[in-house]
Amino acid sequence: MTGIIQWIKEVFFSRHDSALSPEELQAVFRARYRHFRALLTANNTALQAMADLELALQSKQTFSMAFVRARTTAVTVNVYKMVNHLNEMSGGRYRKLENILARINADIDAIVEAVPPVRSGEHVVPLHQVDRNSVDLVGNKMANLGEIANIPGMETPQGFVITVSASDYLLEANNLNPEILRLLQPLDPENLAAVYEVSAAIQRLITGSTLPADLERKIYSAYADLEKTTRAGVTVALRSSALGEDTTGATFAGQYHTELNVDPEFLGQTYKEIVASKFTSRAMLYRMKRGYRHRDVAMCVGCLAMVDSVVSGVVYSRDPERPDTSWCVVSVVKGQAVKVVDGTGTSYLLLVSRQPPHEVIQQEVTQQTGNSGEQVPLDLLTPRQIATITEAALVLEKYFGIAQDIEWTIDTRGRLIILQSRPMVYAEKGEGECHLQDEPDDSSAPPLLTGAVSASAGVACGPVFPVRSALDMLQFPKGAVLVVQHPLPEWAPILNRAAAVVAETGSIAGHLATVAREFKVPAVFGVPDALKTLSNVESITVDAARGRIYTGRLEECIVGDVQQPDLMAGSPVKRLLQNLMEFMTPLNLTDPHSPYFKPGYCETLHDITRFCHEKAVAEMFKFGDRDRLHRHAAIRLVEKNVSLDWWVVDVADGIREGVDLSYKMIHMNDIVSTPMRALWEGISAFPWQGPPSVCARGFGAILFQSTMQPGLDPAVGTALTEKNYFLISKNFCNLSVRLGYHFAMIEAYLSDLRTERYVAFTFKGGAADAKRRAGRITLISDILSRYDFRIDQKGDSLTARIEKRSIGFLQERLKILGYLSVHTRQIDMVMNKQESVDLYKNKFLTEIEQMLD
Amino acid sequence: MKIDRKVLLVDDEVEFTVTLAKILSRREITVGTASNCAEALAQMESESGPFTVIIMDVSMPEVNGIQCLALIKREWLCSEVIILTGHASVNTGIEGMKEGAFDYCLKPINTSELLDKIELAFEKVLVNQEQSTQS
Repeated sequence: MTGIIQWIKEVFFSRHDSALSPEELQAVFRARYRHFRALLTANNTALQAMADLELALQSKQTFSMAFVRARTTAVTVNVYKMVNHLNEMSGGRYRKLENILARINADIDAIVEAVPPVRSGEHVVPLHQVDRNSVDLVGNKMANLGEIANIPGMETPQGFVITVSASDYLLEANNLNPEILRLLQPLDPENLAAVYEVSAAIQRLITGSTLPADLERKIYSAYADLEKTTRAGVTVALRSSALGEDTTGATFAGQYHTELNVDPEFLGQTYKEIVASKFTSRAMLYRMKRGYRHRDVAMCVGCLAMVDSVVSGVVYSRDPERPDTSWCVVSVVKGQAVKVVDGTGTSYLLLVSRQPPHEVIQQEVTQQTGNSGEQVPLDLLTPRQIATITEAALVLEKYFGIAQDIEWTIDTRGRLIILQSRPMVYAEKGEGECHLQDEPDDSSAPPLLTGAVSASAGVACGPVFPVRSALDMLQFPKGAVLVVQHPLPEWAPILNRAAAVVAETGSIAGHLATVAREFKVPAVFGVPDALKTLSNVESITVDAARGRIYTGRLEECIVGDVQQPDLMAGSPVKRLLQNLMEFMTPLNLTDPHSPYFKPGYCETLHDITRFCHEKAVAEMFKFGDRDRLHRHAAIRLVEKNVSLDWWVVDVADGIREGVDLSYKMIHMNDIVSTPMRALWEGISAFPWQGPPSVCARGFGAILFQSTMQPGLDPAVGTALTEKNYFLISKNFCNLSVRLGYHFAMIEAYLSDLRTERYVAFTFKGGAADAKRRAGRITLISDILSRYDFRIDQKGDSLTARIEKRSIGFLQERLKILGYLSVHTRQIDMVMNKQESVDLYKNKFLTEIEQMLD
Repeated sequence: MKIDRKVLLVDDEVEFTVTLAKILSRREITVGTASNCAEALAQMESESGPFTVIIMDVSMPEVNGIQCLALIKREWLCSEVIILTGHASVNTGIEGMKEGAFDYCLKPINTSELLDKIELAFEKVLVNQEQSTQS
């Protein structure tokens, strides 16, 4: 211990503080070391949170705004801690960092907390004054409808729109936004029970609010105008038209309410119910899955005169399952179209040629019985009407430039009226290629059910799970097959958990079918008695393309990759995170010896962490003053059969007490640092067998690289590269090692607290060309992935991390890193041949397993 | 040297404080509760106070958690405060740190993370006490 005190005294206080007693010096040193340790922990937490955000951005996994907010806060707070600890360690030498951090944080805060601009405009607008340019005031659905009304030959219902500024006004006048935000922000989309609870609470807030008197007057004034052009006391349909709805890719199909046959006296209350339907649990979950925040979607309401419908339906201008075919798909139902889209009505399906005279190619009943058990007559439409509907679909497809999903009705006067038109969702070519390659042998495994309607292609298997109520939904296990009577939009919240969907009724035109295609979940509808037939079946395989269901799991027959859709692509939350990352992860300060390695050049939070880490190490060990380090701090490690030059710097309690350090030499037996001992076991487990033999071309490549990259030349020394240093304490170890032409850094903190523990590994460089260096990195990456490391590989650099595991587990990983640090020396030279890669991989894995045994 | 393993929970969500109090009690921690800043200050001055570690929600009626934190640190410098943020802005965490918070946790809380932070806060109070004794 005397040696340590002496070192502390000379390194830190040789000029000014020599009056301090050894005990005081030790106390001061320990305080500094505590800041250093806390800085490392903060660095680790900040980098982990950044990695989580990067992973979210790169993967197709969905993530919520709460996730972004939580990880961003973790980054900002921990970087703040790092700056504070560094200043504590250095006597405030880096105060400038505080201003830079504050500036970056202000930019981040402006992105995360951005409030949408106040939306101005009329509260109520007649539909005939609406067109595509009105989308920001009336929402996509009503803007499209207004646009359609202006196309010659097209008819739409008469009515008016209660605009986005009206719903803003309603929420503002009742001061509901703060409470809604308070309820929404901590919400976990995986906790369905909590989502239902919050959904109900917010809807109660809105439906129980007071409609401002002036807004109410405007609504009834517009209604009076509608009466004049239709008839007195006309009933209306109140249709949601949300901003952001119906954009390509995110359909929001069936997520919000539509109320039909509303009497005038209920206009105000029904309006509030439609506005509140923005917060139905299914709409909230849909938004969260697709990357929309509460503030990104605002509700407008179309108030349309009811049409006396005789026959209605949905027309797809292209077949959603086979978009390259030459027909439109028309679903037909008696009465109002709602029975098609909510999946409860009895309908039939027509495939109609896109070519005039638009003949019916195929006709089938998609659902034998609906709720009422009614039988559907198959002659609801005349050939002329079928042709008119098809022509309208083609006109709208051409007008909007994309295949359309259109709700239509024919009234008592025989007029075709368009109720809604939006971009269609269908599988892109090349996606959803997963299918049953070879049909199972029918004699040994005949399909349990056949003839189902393919609502969303693909094949999947899983345990059967019938759902009849919201309570069943709460218990729905991930990966099960959802079996329901009707494919109601209410089941949409569990689609992302379902392997496949089976419904007794419904057609491809229903909202749930649309959402299933959007989420790429295989779905078969129109399967009579599915609930009863499947009640005693444990697991099934759904072949949606062929409309078949097999007993058991036929996983071996499934070919092709299951294509996971990127549901959040282009969404507001994903865009926000992309903007946010510009202030977080780019690393500009890479070289500590560069003249630009200064606080003023920190542009991102990653830069600040890098700077703080580097300077903290320098503050702690005074690397800048190498003579003093050599003279007072570093002790040579003397071990048999290890030829490299290893030095140890003990920062606290890493060396057994009482060891005589006066000769500046030490043996491993005297090291008590847990991580260093583990690392050394790996380093010394097997002797290095020297560099691989290389062909002349490989050797030439090394010479070339040496001349091109002087930094790779081991002869070019830096503070860290001439010798290999272990910086240790009892539970901390940092090893900077340069073996041959590559640089590796291993850092481990095996804290008593699990949340603080980590092992981190950085590996960079090599002598061979970029391809071979990358080959070695891939080899190391493959091996570390097998042992649970989280890998980030870019070119010839690799970082690997593992955290919060048991100490024994992390010790084993340190052994692996120690082993790899030595044995991957110079093998990049032969990484151009696959056989060499395989050879080394097998050798490494065998020896690692032997070592761990 | 030993410290009092006493934690004060300050949150207007009573259900939260009751649940957390049960968890902490099982770890041999003496727990006090308060539902607003005034109650928290009264608890600190009471016979059962002062508490070594205070867990405080940022969103509270009247005096918010950050303001309350400043009041507590003014009187009881040795106590460490962990703030809980729910729907506050991302900068709330830093505001808390500037006012002297030991650390922060996001709501809904991860219990094991909070327990670790409480232990670290105890450790810091102990270290501070040792240092002041030595000086």
